[in-house]
Amino acid sequence: MAEVKKNEEPRIGVFVCHCGTNIAGSVDIKSVVEYAKKLPNVAVADDYQYMCSTPGQNKIVEAIKEHNLTGIVVAACSPRLHEPTFRGATKMGGLNPFRFEMANIREQNSWVHMHQPEEATAKAKDAIRIAVAKAALLEDLIPKSVPVEKAALVVGGGVGGMQAALDLANAGITTYLVEKNPTIGGRMSQLDKTFPTLDCSQCILTPKMVDVYRNENIKLMTYTEVEAVEGYIGNFDVTLRKKARGVLTTEEAEARGYVGGGCNGCGDCEGVCPVIKPNPFEVGMAPRKAIYIYHPQVSPLLYTVDFDACVKCGLCVDICGDKKAVDLNATDEFVKIKVGTAILATGYDIFPIEQKTEWGYKRYDNVITSLEFERLICASGPTGGHLVRPSDGETPKRIGFVLCAGSRDNTGVGKPYCSRFCCMYSLKHAHQIIEKIPGAVPYIFYMDIRSFGKMYEEFYYRIQNEGAKFIRGRVANILEDPVTKNLHVNAEDTLLGRPVDVEVDLVVLAAAIQPSAETERTRRLFGVSCSQDGWLLEAHPKLNPCGTTTAGVYLAGVCQGPKDIPDTVAQAEGAASAASIPIHLGEVELEPYFAQCIEEKCAGCGMCVNLCPYQALSLVEKDGRKVMQVTEAKCKGCGTCGGFCPGGAIWMQHFATPQIIAQIDAFLLGGEQ
Amino acid sequence: MAVKKDYKDQKLAEKLRDRKYYVSDTNPEFLKEVEKIGQTAAHMCFQCGTCTGSCPSAPRSSYRIRLFMRKAVLGLEEEALTDPDLWLCTTCYTCTDRCPRDLAPTDAIMAMRNIAARRDIIPRNFLQTVQLIYKTGHGVPNNDTNRAARKKLGLDAEPETTHKYPEYLPGIRKILDHYGLKERADRILAEGE
Repeated sequence: MAEVKKNEEPRIGVFVCHCGTNIAGSVDIKSVVEYAKKLPNVAVADDYQYMCSTPGQNKIVEAIKEHNLTGIVVAACSPRLHEPTFRGATKMGGLNPFRFEMANIREQNSWVHMHQPEEATAKAKDAIRIAVAKAALLEDLIPKSVPVEKAALVVGGGVGGMQAALDLANAGITTYLVEKNPTIGGRMSQLDKTFPTLDCSQCILTPKMVDVYRNENIKLMTYTEVEAVEGYIGNFDVTLRKKARGVLTTEEAEARGYVGGGCNGCGDCEGVCPVIKPNPFEVGMAPRKAIYIYHPQVSPLLYTVDFDACVKCGLCVDICGDKKAVDLNATDEFVKIKVGTAILATGYDIFPIEQKTEWGYKRYDNVITSLEFERLICASGPTGGHLVRPSDGETPKRIGFVLCAGSRDNTGVGKPYCSRFCCMYSLKHAHQIIEKIPGAVPYIFYMDIRSFGKMYEEFYYRIQNEGAKFIRGRVANILEDPVTKNLHVNAEDTLLGRPVDVEVDLVVLAAAIQPSAETERTRRLFGVSCSQDGWLLEAHPKLNPCGTTTAGVYLAGVCQGPKDIPDTVAQAEGAASAASIPIHLGEVELEPYFAQCIEEKCAGCGMCVNLCPYQALSLVEKDGRKVMQVTEAKCKGCGTCGGFCPGGAIWMQHFATPQIIAQIDAFLLGGEQ
Repeated sequence: MAVKKDYKDQKLAEKLRDRKYYVSDTNPEFLKEVEKIGQTAAHMCFQCGTCTGSCPSAPRSSYRIRLFMRKAVLGLEEEALTDPDLWLCTTCYTCTDRCPRDLAPTDAIMAMRNIAARRDIIPRNFLQTVQLIYKTGHGVPNNDTNRAARKKLGLDAEPETTHKYPEYLPGIRKILDHYGLKERADRILAEGE
């Protein structure tokens, strides 16, 4: 443990960064340095082209030794960018890293005041004066280490969540994979083929599903939702709701004393069940019973009772017989687990495209979504892979594909972003109908074909070569012939500059996607932010795409933004790697911005205990009276308690009242002295 | 600037005319003016064609609202204002309803008509409409056929408008006079003869 140095006469070093011309272009560096030299407690002031470079950092290291400094101020970019860098340099020079303060004169100054050099220079001087005032009062702080639970949680059992769980498990980490549906597989298991290789989606997915089921380190929990989350990186206490499934696994049956019992997936119960409901896996185009599985390849192979539909006739219980797998009196159960890190992979839903009334989805029989198309063209789908028109069961010959259906739409009804994979799957759909239906012609209405991935542009070339018709124009509206149920697709062929009316047998809308229904609730449980369109917010869009602003919580797949399968799997592996680091380290360092109780001032009123949003505070008996105590690992340093405490008995480390007062004084009263 | 070649044969000169557009010939102020009058961010148009695809005029004419948006964005003022198609919009606002960029192409068209009108570029039938409104209060006044039809349907021969209440005509005329519309229509029509 490092030695804590007591405060002595402050000697501050100020370093002003040019950042090339980013700062020097509008801030007069020379005049700022001269100004800084005259500030109280400043022992040395200097500038450099790039403070973050090795020579720039060396300046700090050398100055600490040469001038026996007690604090460092760097005036440069945002602390979000380089605070860790300069803390490192401060440490290398022999000071406690928390003896460093940053003045942001780039993001909050030179960039916004690009055309006001005089004002920008004055503002930079203010920022440095304020930072110096705080630096003079900074203290040595020692980060706290907390042990990390050697287990991880993955929320969502689609291809992203499965990949993340497999990677974590293969790295030797116990991984809880939680899926709200009765089976893992997610959206990918609903797809027929995948672009651009035309692999069968199920064929490449089911081996992974089996791997997940068989992996000893994966605790697979299907038909389960996250109910509550408490704690912090390294120590998340998660409550899971195991929804009433009504069917026992072999283990559960054994626990009840039915040795050799439990569901073996024989399906006898399904055969006798009298209740018929639409199967959501088939987008409602095929029936299922009240006791059901989604499809034959489900993992785990375990039936589920839909208690909203079940009439409790008991026929399933009777036919199940000695296996005693069916329990119609099942209720939700709550399971508590402890994990070190968590990955969210909550995926997406289809935008309710019927809201775009001009395209007539749900109003015209033969307008379907691309997800419905996937099920209809899939050999294991409701029609055995024979694409049919919903109105009459005939095979369609002319098929219109409407791209950007609800995507790239700023009207408020629709989504402003590009859903990213619709171009490619629509090209794949075009290929599939040309291959399966002799004489079929796909008409693809597009604004731009975005074939950005590896071998994607080549796939576009291939589909064009196969005879698909491309019409560059967004579809204005679709009208139905009431007799034939054929559809007239109206658009402008913008390349000809002429309106077109294409009569087709079937229209497929490449509907926009949106965050899945549970995303909002789940992200709130984990304290993860989202962007304005609802997708979960990564810590940095380029340099930390898997992390979030909550330490220990990571993102994988479409929940962070539209992605195709390769990108989802890649991000899942990234998230798994990131989530495994704290677990493998065994402990994590928390920034020591904790609240501290000044016990001689504390009156033990306990008001702060209820205010704390992180349950980090408690009242304890000490020397015969009550005082507040901080659980440092839980404290996030938000300052709510410190700002409230009527007795001024709470000391916010690194943001202490005297430090903040000094900053305000420096701003209001300051100037050259 | 367009290259001009000195052909003796005028037909040949027209046939071989330079058809490029030159950025130096465009007027960037035109876009600003259209956006100001039309109160729509025309420069955000991404040329998807939903407007033309929705347009009831487009299938029956050479009117292409998407091309007018394009010309406004590029500042091709002369081309936009002198094109007689500018006046074929029926202002049904279907394009505005459907535009995925939430623009109002109809209002951009109306703005361009305003700018054209300032330069006295108005088709004769529009001017005659102005004269008719001034005279009767209607762009399409009642006529004998209509009156007979109305009577047959059990309605009054004249509708509940200035036709029945001509005492309100001076009010309408006052509005038109305030903007000098009738005067201008008369003048332009007279000049054309």
